[in-house]
Amino acid sequence: MRFKIQREDILKPLQFVSGVVERRQTFPVLSNLLVSAKKESLTITATDMEIEIVTTTKITISEVGEVTIPARKFFDICKALPNEAQLDIAFEAEKNRIIIRSGKSRFSLSTLPATDFPNIEDIKATFSFKIPQQLLKNIIDKTQFSMALQDVRYYLNGLLIEIADNAIRAVATDGHRLSFCETSVDVSPSEVIRIILPRKGVVELSKILENSESLVEVIIGANHIRLCLANLQFTSKLVDGQFPDYNRVIPSNGDKQVYAERDFFRQAMARASILSNEKYRGIRLRLKQDLIQAQAHNPEMEEAEEEIAVEYQGGELELGFNVNYILDALAAIDTDRVKLVFGNANSSCLILPDDEKIHCKYVVMPMRL
Amino acid sequence: MIIHADMDAYYVSVELLDKPELVDKPVAVGGPSKNRGVISAANYIARKYGVHSALATKTACQRCPNLTLLPARMGVYVDISRKIQAIFARYTPTIEPLSLDEAFLDVSASQKLFGSANVIARNIKQAIMAELKLVVSIGIAPTKFVAKIASDIGKPNGFVIVKKNQVQAFLDPLPVTRIWGVGKATESNLTTLGIKSIHQLRQLPPKKLTHLFGQQGLHLWQLANGIDPRAVITDRHAKSISHEITFATDIDNREYLLAQLLHLTELVAARLREHKHVGRTITIKVRYSDFSTLTRSRSIHNATYNTQPIWKVVKELFTTHIKTNHQALRLVGVNVSGFNKQGHQSPQQTDLFEPQENETGIDAITDAINKRFGENILKRGATIKKTIGPRGVYDVDLHGYHSRIKYTRSD
Repeated sequence: MRFKIQREDILKPLQFVSGVVERRQTFPVLSNLLVSAKKESLTITATDMEIEIVTTTKITISEVGEVTIPARKFFDICKALPNEAQLDIAFEAEKNRIIIRSGKSRFSLSTLPATDFPNIEDIKATFSFKIPQQLLKNIIDKTQFSMALQDVRYYLNGLLIEIADNAIRAVATDGHRLSFCETSVDVSPSEVIRIILPRKGVVELSKILENSESLVEVIIGANHIRLCLANLQFTSKLVDGQFPDYNRVIPSNGDKQVYAERDFFRQAMARASILSNEKYRGIRLRLKQDLIQAQAHNPEMEEAEEEIAVEYQGGELELGFNVNYILDALAAIDTDRVKLVFGNANSSCLILPDDEKIHCKYVVMPMRL
Repeated sequence: MIIHADMDAYYVSVELLDKPELVDKPVAVGGPSKNRGVISAANYIARKYGVHSALATKTACQRCPNLTLLPARMGVYVDISRKIQAIFARYTPTIEPLSLDEAFLDVSASQKLFGSANVIARNIKQAIMAELKLVVSIGIAPTKFVAKIASDIGKPNGFVIVKKNQVQAFLDPLPVTRIWGVGKATESNLTTLGIKSIHQLRQLPPKKLTHLFGQQGLHLWQLANGIDPRAVITDRHAKSISHEITFATDIDNREYLLAQLLHLTELVAARLREHKHVGRTITIKVRYSDFSTLTRSRSIHNATYNTQPIWKVVKELFTTHIKTNHQALRLVGVNVSGFNKQGHQSPQQTDLFEPQENETGIDAITDAINKRFGENILKRGATIKKTIGPRGVYDVDLHGYHSRIKYTRSD
């Protein structure tokens, strides 16, 4: 195997795939990337047995072949070379080494045979559709921050994707707060499809998808999801579990409706959060007529107080929240004004963009302070 | 000064209170041999025949054919244990119970009020005899380590005082196996070096011991020299609360192990609630047949003393991290730590899918019933169902184990 490539042409694919490679591996070959040089293209593959990313780059190959190379070191070398450097990459079969030459630099890396590299079998497609990249990216980015991290309820450590008639929804929850976002798309599955994409896959996918109109093909199999872009194919196993009924926990009967300037409100919350307990992040909110008073304090008894002018006509209410959950929701909304709906001191708060055309909902459970 | 009080043949002695006709006969408490039961406790007459705790009942009956075997009544032992603790509490608040029948008492601060440690211990011994008709063996020493050896050496009906200037003379002739933490492996290592007594151990340079046994080696050397800085720790000041079970026979039946873990979780959670500790870090511990020990832990978002959220983590840790297909387990344990400061109620994040009130209610009722009618009267269903053990059907609620309560130092 031998080919020449410019640094920038290989750097981008490496950036996409290297997030998949785990730092600690049970199988040595999983620390490596599979590099295959075919007639007119170079493909680079990374996998952790759950997620696989394959990138394809059109270049001229002087000698076809394939081998696996240590991912981290290969990526670091390419990054550290100067801009627009020309790389000459060649495999020395007799020494099992890959040689990278560029200008006055020369690197010799160990390899493992390509045949040792695991690949995800046929995913047995059951449904597929096409969607503009930016729509998919949008619903993921507006919800993924609420995914649980290593929760015992393993099905929460991922993102629910629901494909219904002409709509696709993403829902994430860690049990304390929930994010929901829906977008219209031209699909018509015979029945509603519900899949849970694992957390790591969601994070990687969000890095790969771009804010462009170009279409991505989504293929759903029995246990996998595959996304095909022009130069990249992403495949992930699905979380095998039942996502809780999110409709049940999105409140519909809150009678206390508050309208606030989003940025103004967010900045006040951010200031108050500086003096909230670093571990629990509690903040106390007091609703009064056309006013929210916020108060936070820490174990050193330092205290922050904010008064936020809002539109509110209901009765007084006092309740506590994790301020980070409020901040996350406010950051994910992009309308100028937000609507907050409260019930009582023990019920959840619903945060919405003040625009009925945007179907995003954020639910935050209170904290007993 | 520290007092170590250890009841003589506790379970059996309690049983004999109701059955005085058996006093001069060999008696043991334990599970019947047809259920692969084991002996929990034996009186001193039975011990002469070689019957001891953790021995298979079948073997015990072979060694001592006219042995009277009584079923264990844990509720009764727990009730009387409470009365014993109450007698201790008349003299000092600093009590560290090691199990139902054993405790350390630090009486350093009580001596002005009640007389010397010697006088206090005599009073305790007499009160336990007068009020409960039970015999306790006493060891008094400046450290926990020596006090425990002292109470053991005097058994039965022991009363041994080791004054500060006598500690070394007391320890020197004893075999190294008397030191906590010296098991079979360490003993055979020391034997190859020609070391049998504590006196010989003390002659070794500590450097050599650390080289041989690591951190443990230094600890051994300190104990051999009568140095034991561990204080008597009460539940109130504990930094973690744990229960563990050593099985009489190694077990690989996962259903059975889970039932035991649930039982331990209930015990730990009940103690947390008793002392109003809420913890965030849950640890399980297992020891395999070859004595290799593994711990796995996880922290939860809301500090708790409720059984259900702790159990959920315990179960998950066991299911995902503990393999039993190659080796059976000889010990399992549950530990909760990461307590909030006393009196500080931490904020409680409420959950979208799990209402919390309910569970608190179950725990409060369980505690109230168990307090009134004896420990373990009320327990979760999964802890008592019959399951298949290593060699036959087991009643999971068996007493052929010895449960050890452990405390960690608080500063």
